[in-house]
Amino acid sequence: MGYDLAGNQPPARESRYRRPRSLVSWSALLIGFLIGLGGGLFYAWNINPVVQIDTQPWQLTSRARAEYMAAIALDFGYDGDLNLAVQRLIELRPQGDPFQMLADAACQLATSGYVDSNAGLQAVQSMKLLYQLQGRTGCADTLVAAVAQPTEVILSLPTPTPLPPATKTPTQVPTPAPSPTAAAPIQPTVPVQSDFVPPVVRTFCDASLPGIIEIFVQQVGGEGLSLQQVRVRWNDGDNLFLTGLKPERGPGYADFDMEAGLSYIVDIPGRSDPTSSPLVASPCTTETGATSITSYRVFFVEQ
Amino acid sequence: MLRFLLSLAVGLGLGLGLGLYLGWIQFPVEYTDAPPSTLAESYQDDYTVMIAAGYLVDRDVNAALERLRLLEISNIPQYVQNVTERFISSSREVRDIIYMVALSEALGRLTPIMEPYREVNVRGTGG
Repeated sequence: MGYDLAGNQPPARESRYRRPRSLVSWSALLIGFLIGLGGGLFYAWNINPVVQIDTQPWQLTSRARAEYMAAIALDFGYDGDLNLAVQRLIELRPQGDPFQMLADAACQLATSGYVDSNAGLQAVQSMKLLYQLQGRTGCADTLVAAVAQPTEVILSLPTPTPLPPATKTPTQVPTPAPSPTAAAPIQPTVPVQSDFVPPVVRTFCDASLPGIIEIFVQQVGGEGLSLQQVRVRWNDGDNLFLTGLKPERGPGYADFDMEAGLSYIVDIPGRSDPTSSPLVASPCTTETGATSITSYRVFFVEQ
Repeated sequence: MLRFLLSLAVGLGLGLGLGLYLGWIQFPVEYTDAPPSTLAESYQDDYTVMIAAGYLVDRDVNAALERLRLLEISNIPQYVQNVTERFISSSREVRDIIYMVALSEALGRLTPIMEPYREVNVRGTGG
């Protein structure tokens, strides 16, 4: 063990004073990094945040989101494209079930002045149709009346007979007061009752399901009704079958394969109106460009 | 000491850069309760198409106008015409074009470029 000129003992071999000194102070670097990171985030989030102009539907105000959902339902009411409707609902980033979100939005609109106009009323009806078909319920079910309007009844009121002019010579016999003629009560005209609202028909084009009629018989709440007799008619024939024979598709489901080029009418014999227009098995093109035959979904909902 | 300060400065620089990247690009502030007028153009287009489809259901042009007011556009017929023509020139899906042409026509904004898309039967049962 040697000593230097000052008489000090040199540091031990493992001492840090014998190791070459690092160029970087890691502790200072870490402290600086953390301070910088915090400062950068604070600046980017609070002092000078990104100005967002291209917002997405989920970022809209609650009311605007509800109206956006109404538009989704209106579009579904025309083209019946459930996949597109679901995709659009999901873009609104629902917390849970997108159809329940739709039902809640319909409720929100139904409790506001939105339904004071025809435009709003029709939109909420469309929303109801969409979520009810998926078996959801909401307060709009009761707040907004069904589409069917009550039959207007015009009553003819009794016509009073005018008093005769007074004569100059009074007579002893008093003229009996005119008595109004009571009209026979008029019975309101009631349309032929049906157990189901007019069937709702949606089309779709799917290469894997060419020319099929999918039938859904449901209660108001959307629950399927099994063993319901459904009839499909075409030019020179008809076919009766029951719902619920494909339980994997639900108790109220049945389907029928169409023949290309023919037209079909579907009803529940004696209990529903037939489809308002023929279901034509016409060629169609899928979204991917494949050719197929138009298919239909027919919904019978109990009233 | 110099070594310490230099390391601190380097750390600050790195941290600041990463913080700004995260705060502006990776995790930018996401606003909620945004007014519909700030909706991205693609979503405004989508909304307009949906309203046009709604028009084809009820044929109520006033209802369509009322619904489009959500977008806070001053001249709705002009807007519908512009969107329709843009759809046609950018070869958007024919279905959307047909919906928009029907609404444009109802608003009195049928232009020659839209003519071929009138009265074309599309999938769907509305009308």
